Amino acid sequence: MELKIIEVSKNFESITALDKVSYTLKKGVYGLLGVNGAGKTTLMRILCTLLKPSSGSVTWNGHDIFAMDGKYRNLLGYLPQDFGYYPDFTVYDYLMYIASIKGLPPFVAKQRTDTLLAQVGLAKDKNKKMKKLSGGMKRRAGIAQAMLNKPQILILDEPTAGLDPNERIRFRNLISELSEERIVLLSTHIVSDIEFVANEILLMQNGQIKMSGTGEEIVCSMPEKVWNCKIPKPLVDSYLKKYKVSNIKNLHEGAELRILSANQPTEDAILETPSLEDVFLYYFGEKAGADDVQI
Amino acid sequence: MMFRYEIKKVFSKKSSKIAILLLLIVVIITCWFATDVFFVNENGEKKTGYAAVRQLRKAQKEWAGVLDEEKLRQVIEENNRINATPEANSKKLTDQEIAYGWTQGIYELRNLLNCSYGEDFCSYDYYRADDLSTEDAGAFYENRIMLLKNWLSDDGKYLFSDAEKKYLIKQYESLETPFGYDYMKGWTQVLEYAPTIIMVGMLILGFLVAGIFSSEFSWKSDAIFFSTVYGRNKAVAAKIKAGLSIVTVIYWAAILLYSTIVLVYLGIDGAACPIQADFSGWKCFYNIQIWQVYLLTVVGGYVGCLFISLLTMFISAKTKSAVLAVMLPFVLIFLPSFLGNIESPVINKILGLLPDRLLQVSTALTYFDLYKLGNKVMGAIPILFVLYGILAIFLLPILYHEYRCKQIN
Repeated sequence: MELKIIEVSKNFESITALDKVSYTLKKGVYGLLGVNGAGKTTLMRILCTLLKPSSGSVTWNGHDIFAMDGKYRNLLGYLPQDFGYYPDFTVYDYLMYIASIKGLPPFVAKQRTDTLLAQVGLAKDKNKKMKKLSGGMKRRAGIAQAMLNKPQILILDEPTAGLDPNERIRFRNLISELSEERIVLLSTHIVSDIEFVANEILLMQNGQIKMSGTGEEIVCSMPEKVWNCKIPKPLVDSYLKKYKVSNIKNLHEGAELRILSANQPTEDAILETPSLEDVFLYYFGEKAGADDVQI
Repeated sequence: MMFRYEIKKVFSKKSSKIAILLLLIVVIITCWFATDVFFVNENGEKKTGYAAVRQLRKAQKEWAGVLDEEKLRQVIEENNRINATPEANSKKLTDQEIAYGWTQGIYELRNLLNCSYGEDFCSYDYYRADDLSTEDAGAFYENRIMLLKNWLSDDGKYLFSDAEKKYLIKQYESLETPFGYDYMKGWTQVLEYAPTIIMVGMLILGFLVAGIFSSEFSWKSDAIFFSTVYGRNKAVAAKIKAGLSIVTVIYWAAILLYSTIVLVYLGIDGAACPIQADFSGWKCFYNIQIWQVYLLTVVGGYVGCLFISLLTMFISAKTKSAVLAVMLPFVLIFLPSFLGNIESPVINKILGLLPDRLLQVSTALTYFDLYKLGNKVMGAIPILFVLYGILAIFLLPILYHEYRCKQIN
């Protein structure tokens, strides 16, 4: 079980979405972390054969995935970021239709649909129209469709986007349950989601995999230290300009800052254990605090 | 299962259900117009309904048979007899209605006389039959050819090449005469309103199939669709199959419902009469019978609908837009009507081969659209059938390939 990305580049006119990405995925959960525009979705779409790379190739057990055509897609389960569905279909019809285009015989399709509906907690809502489902329920229907064919490669693009905290926890647990005996590639900009479920994390930036490894390895790789210090109100702005700050907690007399710095920023700064969120800030800098990232 | 769900995708939309309901309403209204036949009784009273149909049929059936010189003489005689009655010459409306009532049996034949004995090929004088005497009966069929020849050497001189003129004359001469005549109101009414049903049907079919390919993109379900094992092969084929099935089932359901209602109500008599036995087909150069005209009309409509629907699906697949796709049938149906006002032989030649003609074969049969293929001159109708039949078949793999190779950016 080996999905190999070899020197894959993808250009959209003058924009380079992927720049010679190489990586090998084996059984396990991989978290793809990066800000919007980092190339996560483009990479996932190439892995799902939805897009052809401008150069490079992707192989499954040594065979080109585009040459494998349907045989490769038979191994695939995909939940896109912008998950579309047929609004007037019931949840059951939706899954049965996806089962049919995944090549499941009707009898097997019925069995798998019922099993998955129970697994994702939608059994009693199976006759509801898709358009009537809540955001979380839709996502659960989405993961169910991705699992219909018992895929060896499960690709989930931002599966927790827009979910409330309860749904997110439920979803994370569901992904952990489903991750056995397959490759799961999960992209998100919610750092905590990856931290909990991924065996290996890939940090993507500007179309490249900037760093990869286990959560611990990535945290250890950060050359900066993490400090916690209380700063008086008039000085907060100057500290924000001077240091990378991963968290600000407003206090009555000033603010408590979580600062990334090789040197101790203040005399009373306390050294903290770095987290993946700090690493994210370190690598993605200003963009990590932009609209797309939730820590 | 894929095919079933593709159909379900189309008909799960409220707009599709409304479209089908609209087609049903159009069929019913058209049936109402087509069966709206009246009969004027011996008291000059206008009667409608099924009783009127039966009386009209009975009156015209009395004149059914081979339209030979003797029969034509009798028609002229009967017409002259009616014209000589005090009722026909009365100024009173009721008397005139009574006189009209007497002409109903020979009404269609009287129209043929007006055509045959007309001043020239393009004119029509409603009262021409009233000037005829029984001695004129012998020239009935010859006149048809003579008027054509005169027109081709006069006003129509520059409209056709010599080969085309020769072809038209040959076609006119090869009409088997004397031909049979019968009551054929059922067929003429069915044929008169068939283009309405077919064109409205085409617009509705275009609306239904326009979303089959583009909806995956508008619903953003494309990424999942194309990432499945059958997403780039059998599922695409299922979409095409669903589109073709929708066109086939709905088209034939509408046509058969319409035809059955009208033909059962008005009768199927006269199916074997030539198209020339009806006033509207008198000048037609295709020597075919009424049932063949009907067959050509409905099959032509089907081929046209199939081609336009496939083209609509192709545009939907190519542009990922149902809006653009649904506009195509409107353009193909209504644009030729505007261009038809331009008097240019070249444009007319092009217009004669546009697919909208297939949606109105019963009308197109009366047009003098001629084309030369090698040394052979032929009318537009056979070319249209072959051309759009082949194009529809060619569109299938093109549509399949276009959709299966889609990339999702």
